[in-house]
Amino acid sequence: MEAKPSVAPSSFIDQQVFPGDLVLDLSKMTNQTIKLGGGLCQDGDVISVMKAGKLRFSKPNKYWVESSHKRYVPSVGDNVLGIVVEARADNFFVDIKGPALAFLPVLAFEGGTRRNIPKFETGTLLYVRVVKANTGMNPELSCTDAMGKAAEYGPLKDGFMFESSTGLSRTLLSSPTCPVLETLGKKIAFEIAVGLNGRVWVNATSPSIIVLVANTIMQTESLSPAQQKIRVENLLQKLQ
Amino acid sequence: MKERGEAEDFVTPGEVLGKTSELKPGNGAYVSPQDNTVYASLAGIRSLTPPPPESADLRPTVEVKGHKAHGPVPEPGAIVLARVTKVMAKMASADIVCVGPKSVREKFTGIIRQQDVRATEIDKVEMHSSFRPGDIVKALVLSLGDARAYYLSTAKNELGVVSAESAAAGETMVPISWTEMQCPSTGQIEQRKVAKVGA
Repeated sequence: MEAKPSVAPSSFIDQQVFPGDLVLDLSKMTNQTIKLGGGLCQDGDVISVMKAGKLRFSKPNKYWVESSHKRYVPSVGDNVLGIVVEARADNFFVDIKGPALAFLPVLAFEGGTRRNIPKFETGTLLYVRVVKANTGMNPELSCTDAMGKAAEYGPLKDGFMFESSTGLSRTLLSSPTCPVLETLGKKIAFEIAVGLNGRVWVNATSPSIIVLVANTIMQTESLSPAQQKIRVENLLQKLQ
Repeated sequence: MKERGEAEDFVTPGEVLGKTSELKPGNGAYVSPQDNTVYASLAGIRSLTPPPPESADLRPTVEVKGHKAHGPVPEPGAIVLARVTKVMAKMASADIVCVGPKSVREKFTGIIRQQDVRATEIDKVEMHSSFRPGDIVKALVLSLGDARAYYLSTAKNELGVVSAESAAAGETMVPISWTEMQCPSTGQIEQRKVAKVGA
């Protein structure tokens, strides 16, 4: 593989990169420690891309590739929406749109003991946190945060759940609040839970509001922030 | 068909071979405690081996050798080599490949439970930091286990992962310590329960 002449890192940041692109030349950057995130791999003296997506950089020294997929790869610390598939003695089997079913231990709830095990039916939607996610093993989940408190985790009642790409989930969770949610929130009251695994749950007082919010989010995925605001305002006018 | 030993009788399972006062049961024979008789448990040729000269027991050992030569079978206390197939939260499954120096003829499955991975701090064992699918491990057979698998243990210095491939490059890793192995090309360190090989 030939290294491209004069590989300048600034030329690739925030650009679309493809597997095989050589984005950093380490021989030109001496005495620096670089941290590589997902999608990048060191090949001798150059850093090459393994996943298609946008190359991102955060000061002082972190590089990673951000991509949007319909598939979810479980990773530790993610908040996801899972659907209960089966209940066993020690764990619930939960589908989180990953390559394998995840285990939710029966005691992984705030104040969970053998006496007050929750009874989740097949099909229950849960907001859970990924605790362990090793390749080849089933991921492990928990309905408590790192301190052991319940903190919003648990079953989601009523409402409507739809699937999205992982990129849209990350956009909805970004701070400052993404334009779609901000514009919608000014006029409508609704509740939303976003899972990084590409599932979104919306709840509101009337079904027409739920449908409006869900459609709006799905339609504005590929629009720029300004276009999103315009589109949302158009849709809101139709409601009134 | 080869004839072994001195006697050439062909016996069938359940046939009386002798009394416990005269004979000791070996492979393919067993004692029934109710009537102190030695019976055959296999169909094959009976053979008598004289007792070793220093033993206090003067009874010869009677064995029944089946006509089919079977491959080696894991026994409790045997050292086996196994390939890890699946790693789960509290145990790892492995396919037994060799019993001692001989390779097996049929498939045997073994399980390494979390408490049998090492001798110290057994409740803090992380299975994912001890084994990965595809590793070759040297283990001790603890017991015949249940119907599905033998129970194996790696809780000794010389037991554990003997050979493993790195996750990134796929190259055979070099052991660094009893907990770490390193890929020679990328330099990445991975955690395993490594067997102490050699002096």
